[in-house]
Amino acid sequence: MRRWVVPWLELAGWLGLAVLVLSRRQYVSLWWQLCAIWAGLAGLAVLSHCCGFSHVLLLPAALLVSLGWIFLHRLRPEWAAQQFVGFLVGAATYCVGLFGGWASTRTKYIFGLGAAVLLALTWVFGVAVGGAKAWLAVGPLRFQPVEFARVLLVLFIVRYLSDNQALLRQKRGLEAAAYWGPLLLLVGSVFLLLAVQRDLGPALLVFAVYCVLSVAVLSSWKLAALYVLLAVVGFGAVQHIFPHLGTRLTAWLNPWQYAETAGYQIVQGLFALNSGRVLGKGIGAGSGELIPEVHTDFIFALIGEELGLAGAVAVVSLYLILAFAGLRLAAGSTEPVEQYTAVGIVLLWFMQVFLVVGGILRLVPLTGMTLPFLSYGSSSLAAQMWMLGILSSVGRVRSK
Amino acid sequence: MKPLLRKIFLLILGMYFLMVAALVFWQVAVDLGKHPLNPRRYGAFRQPRGAILDRSGLPLARTLMAGEKYVREYADPSVTHVTGYFHQRYGITGLEKAFDARLQAGQDVYTTIDLRLQQKVAELMGDRVGAAVVMEPETGAVLALVSCPQIDGNSLDDFWSDYLADQRSPFVNRAVQGLYPPGSALKPLVLAAALAGGITTADAHWTDRGVLKLGEEAISNHQGQAWGVITTSEALAHSSNVVFAQLAVELGPALLDALRRFGLGEAVLFPLSQSSGRLPSAAQSAYGWAQIGIGQGGLLATPLQMAAAISAIANGGKLMRPYLVQEIKGGWRLRQAQRPEFVRQAVPQWAAADVRDAMVLAVEKGTARAAAVRGTVVAGKTGTAQTGSGGDHSWFVGFAPAEKPELAVVVVLEHGGLASQTAAPLGGQILREALQLLAPQDM
Repeated sequence: MRRWVVPWLELAGWLGLAVLVLSRRQYVSLWWQLCAIWAGLAGLAVLSHCCGFSHVLLLPAALLVSLGWIFLHRLRPEWAAQQFVGFLVGAATYCVGLFGGWASTRTKYIFGLGAAVLLALTWVFGVAVGGAKAWLAVGPLRFQPVEFARVLLVLFIVRYLSDNQALLRQKRGLEAAAYWGPLLLLVGSVFLLLAVQRDLGPALLVFAVYCVLSVAVLSSWKLAALYVLLAVVGFGAVQHIFPHLGTRLTAWLNPWQYAETAGYQIVQGLFALNSGRVLGKGIGAGSGELIPEVHTDFIFALIGEELGLAGAVAVVSLYLILAFAGLRLAAGSTEPVEQYTAVGIVLLWFMQVFLVVGGILRLVPLTGMTLPFLSYGSSSLAAQMWMLGILSSVGRVRSK
Repeated sequence: MKPLLRKIFLLILGMYFLMVAALVFWQVAVDLGKHPLNPRRYGAFRQPRGAILDRSGLPLARTLMAGEKYVREYADPSVTHVTGYFHQRYGITGLEKAFDARLQAGQDVYTTIDLRLQQKVAELMGDRVGAAVVMEPETGAVLALVSCPQIDGNSLDDFWSDYLADQRSPFVNRAVQGLYPPGSALKPLVLAAALAGGITTADAHWTDRGVLKLGEEAISNHQGQAWGVITTSEALAHSSNVVFAQLAVELGPALLDALRRFGLGEAVLFPLSQSSGRLPSAAQSAYGWAQIGIGQGGLLATPLQMAAAISAIANGGKLMRPYLVQEIKGGWRLRQAQRPEFVRQAVPQWAAADVRDAMVLAVEKGTARAAAVRGTVVAGKTGTAQTGSGGDHSWFVGFAPAEKPELAVVVVLEHGGLASQTAAPLGGQILREALQLLAPQDM
């Protein structure tokens, strides 16, 4: 894009630092990390630009990452330091996404199977950290495979749909089953693997992205109706299998009644948001520590309290800008698979935002996921940066 | 391909506007600031809050600066059941809650508590479960109000889950909410009622054979002890169930009226949330009346109620309303003072004096001997109340000096066993310490 974007990135970074220092009036021990994040992102922007890729996505992403870092530092400086490590890994995964390309017609099954295998490995060899057995340890490395698995799966889905688009549309009966088979098998197994690990947030997200993608690509309303039916039936079934889903549901429908038990988190989140009013209390002036899991699932409630409606809408708008820029890149490409990939990633981002923010705002039940780029979590941030890299590479065709 | 992207963008835009609308709703349209569960309601952590002080101005609870925030600090764990606590996560209780508006306005609450006495009583209670109340009989001012186990208002964060898990329910303020059958500790009130009702006199003679048959049932003394020919005063001193059962049977419904006049079964205006106790309905049989007469039969009272009632005996039959807060002042709002409040003449003065003499006898040669204090005359009465489950509760009620009472003391020990060996010595110790602490200092 424009050359002047890069210095602006730098400037915004210093501004963010100033906001932090002024609003807390205390020594920011890790201030150099924020500068490093901005320098790193500016470097990535230059790299992308020089190699003929788009760098527009880096600006909103940089704002989100640094905002997340600032709030993590405000909560507990160690979390910000850990997030910085996540960002460093993310810079590498961004390059992987940028240069590594996406699933080809031949390699797509590796991606799809990779997702399923990663989750199966987690299921078998998973390490429990803080209750959930969602971690995989390889030597000194420890990460949450689910963050990467869903990207792999979406890359598989979009390639499969674009490869078999015509056939999936035309074939009927048994023949159609042969073409739907591999897709449903892999999506279904990933969904089930997530469900048995009680990771229902990502399961729901993967299912939703798959539904929207297949309906959009095959432009079939019949399919949409089928998915809705499936969702309703599946929901009823899942509720019988997982009783804890019932508590989440009652907490969603009537949090005030269970304000001190199941609905505690939601209610505390709403109190936080509500106390922010229009302009917020200022960074560090809120009482975000009162919300359980404020650094991961509920960081948005804290932002709403301390930056107010203005800040909360700004954050959601940043995601909208990110989605819009991603779709603009897709529109510039002539390759259907590039477009589907862009759409898949944009959906993965924005639907996750909707599930998380909507969960806090009581639009949907709480699902327990991170907010892309903002929440605490190195794996999450690395996976988001990977997606950012992939999406940025969609612009290559146009730039050349 | 463009229509596909447009559809996707419209979908995303739809989600976006849903979120923005919900944000506007939750952040601007509604106001949850006054919601009772909202911890931000106690936003007062960013402003100074008035102190809660003892009778001599020592702080029981005060607000200190800690960095940018204010922290509420309590003098001692022993005061937390009086002051309550004021905590961002765990909310607000006790006096902190009762006078929240005043405290938030920066006013100070002066209580009638004597901090040194409060600490001393808590120390004497040790790790026993129960409550103790020290009252000024003439005014009804509460000098000490201790409930054990205590909670520590300064370290709720550290011990909250321990408190929740504790089988002994440390959150219950036993001094005002604990409901206990008074057992023989009720006998001074029964005696006062009987004397006032003209049923007997202090030196009337009774023959006590240790057991009293009442139809199918029987009332017996502790360990079946027969006291032979004794006066009514001696019957109180030795805690004769046989004599008091007969008094109660003769009194009948008049007994319940008398107890009501002593304030049992009713909650008075008091800044801490309290239970009103329980007066049973009229008994259906002589045995039923006899049970009430010895403090059983479904009768329940709080330590504070017993303290007020025994203070009435000490105070010539005049029942005073117990009070805990004497003055609220400071800040911009009006000063408010609480004067001692006379409720009613529970029994005539001569009847109260006769009961007092009988209680002095109980400490001199009866069941409450362990409560004697060197250098003063103590009037007292023990009570060992059957509980239906677990060991007996032990009571001591008393006051000193008997001629011109300065202090009334009530002690309850849950499942404490025989009161003459547990509650009575503790009551005596409290009286001794309290008299020492409150004696006018020599210049």
